[in-house]
Amino acid sequence: MNDAAAADAALRCTEVSVGYHGTPVLTNVTLDLVPGQRLALIGPNGAGKSTLIKSILGLVPVLAGTCTVLGRTPSHARTLIGYVPQTDSLDADFPVTAGQVVMMGRYRRIGWWRPTRGVDRRAVQEALDRLGLADHARTHFGVLSGGQRQRVLLARAIAAEPRLLLLDEPFNGVDLVSQDAILSVLRELGAAGTTLVLSTHDLTLAHEFADTVCVLNGRQWALGPPGATLTADTLRRAYGGHAIELRDGRTVLVEP
Amino acid sequence: MNWWDDALHRATAEVLLAGALAGLVGVHVVLRRLSFFTMALTHATFPGVVAASIIGVNIIVGGAVAGAIVAVGVAALSRRRSQNTAAATGVMLSGGFALGAGLVASQNGFSRDLTSFLVGSILTVSPQDLMATAVALVVVAAVLLTCARPLRYSGFDPAGARAAGFATGGWDVVLLLVIEVAVVTIVPAVGTILALALIVAPAAAARQWSHRLSVITALAVTLGALSGLGGLYASSRWDVAAGASITLTATAVLALSTVLSRLVRTRPTVPVHLRAASA
Repeated sequence: MNDAAAADAALRCTEVSVGYHGTPVLTNVTLDLVPGQRLALIGPNGAGKSTLIKSILGLVPVLAGTCTVLGRTPSHARTLIGYVPQTDSLDADFPVTAGQVVMMGRYRRIGWWRPTRGVDRRAVQEALDRLGLADHARTHFGVLSGGQRQRVLLARAIAAEPRLLLLDEPFNGVDLVSQDAILSVLRELGAAGTTLVLSTHDLTLAHEFADTVCVLNGRQWALGPPGATLTADTLRRAYGGHAIELRDGRTVLVEP
Repeated sequence: MNWWDDALHRATAEVLLAGALAGLVGVHVVLRRLSFFTMALTHATFPGVVAASIIGVNIIVGGAVAGAIVAVGVAALSRRRSQNTAAATGVMLSGGFALGAGLVASQNGFSRDLTSFLVGSILTVSPQDLMATAVALVVVAAVLLTCARPLRYSGFDPAGARAAGFATGGWDVVLLLVIEVAVVTIVPAVGTILALALIVAPAAAARQWSHRLSVITALAVTLGALSGLGGLYASSRWDVAAGASITLTATAVLALSTVLSRLVRTRPTVPVHLRAASA
């Protein structure tokens, strides 16, 4: 691999192991994403999806292998990476409005004490508009529905104008309207060249969203187009033999 | 005669400043659920204050040193998930208090009465104390204003703030030290045991009326200053200990606010069913 190729890659992980306190929870992950690619991380709870996302953010150490974002190490690429955390990690009682949350996406550009500029306020308004939240800029975050909260967090990530966007279970507890709004914005972002990495355990949504799927559970079990990876055989192996049915070409996980 | 020569005048200025300072940091204590930590701080400053008094240095310096040890200690403990932070904080609280009580008891003919540490001595406030409180108020307000963004981000969404490149551990220490400065400044006037109510009650009351941090802060500062003023008035009117009457006033403000906000049904807190849905 030469340096020019590494810089072209939006995200490149080579035989990466990640974990806490030196104990890996996920090993042997190899990914190579170009700008605009849409990757879904699929796996059961505890598969290591969130841990992988956090290591790409530089929040969890890479124990083995290498991981680069646009040719840089994760902690040096933070200004280029957007992140949509799971909503349950937030303090919804905290007194912030939806508009203030979206403005957080601009903090890195503004600096922590300088006043906001017109360009920042326009970026916030535009991000809220794109997610159908224009009327909620002054609404307290805590009174929004689960789907609206998730849209606010995506708007915050967009306002930061990232080149790589990581989303941790963005469809958990989300209503259909919000789900459609999120999916359509993600498609637009991908078309505009933003690389997207999304974790989910919803196979149908993975089919709808992704052009590439990575099946994880402790290690990488498959990587490729949805049709080639979300097969009954692969999923049965990755999920440890849980019953998986194939129905009119689609794979369905059945709880044991 | 100078206006400041009158002890009651100085006490009035002190309760206004201390009440405002308490309300200001109280907002962050309430939002970040740091009441127990603040309780430990008020009690941990006690041995520092006594030791300073014995050695003969400024008691604010003594309290500041003891408080800083607790603030940094709690920050270090909370970084290690496996440690039970609440248990350690609780031990520091009573351990610190016991150390102070032991120090007082060990000194024969100790010049200061133990009670003056526990419930404060607002009427003996010196012009220097007054100046210290004013400086602390300005410094704390300036720090909270310039650091509003990182404090908001890390309070609302610590993982997101870290991902965005904010050193949340560092900002937590900044916040704990700001609270410590306020506690150390307020404790000599209001007392070790009583300071917590003046910090938490006005802010908790203010939280019941708004979702905007600026409004909550303005309201908490006002209620804090009013609690101080009302308590001092009650103290001189009915000859009760000032620290106790200030604390009782702050408590009454919170009780009254709670009842009123329930009556006026515009109380904008998150309904319980929405909280559950967010999880």
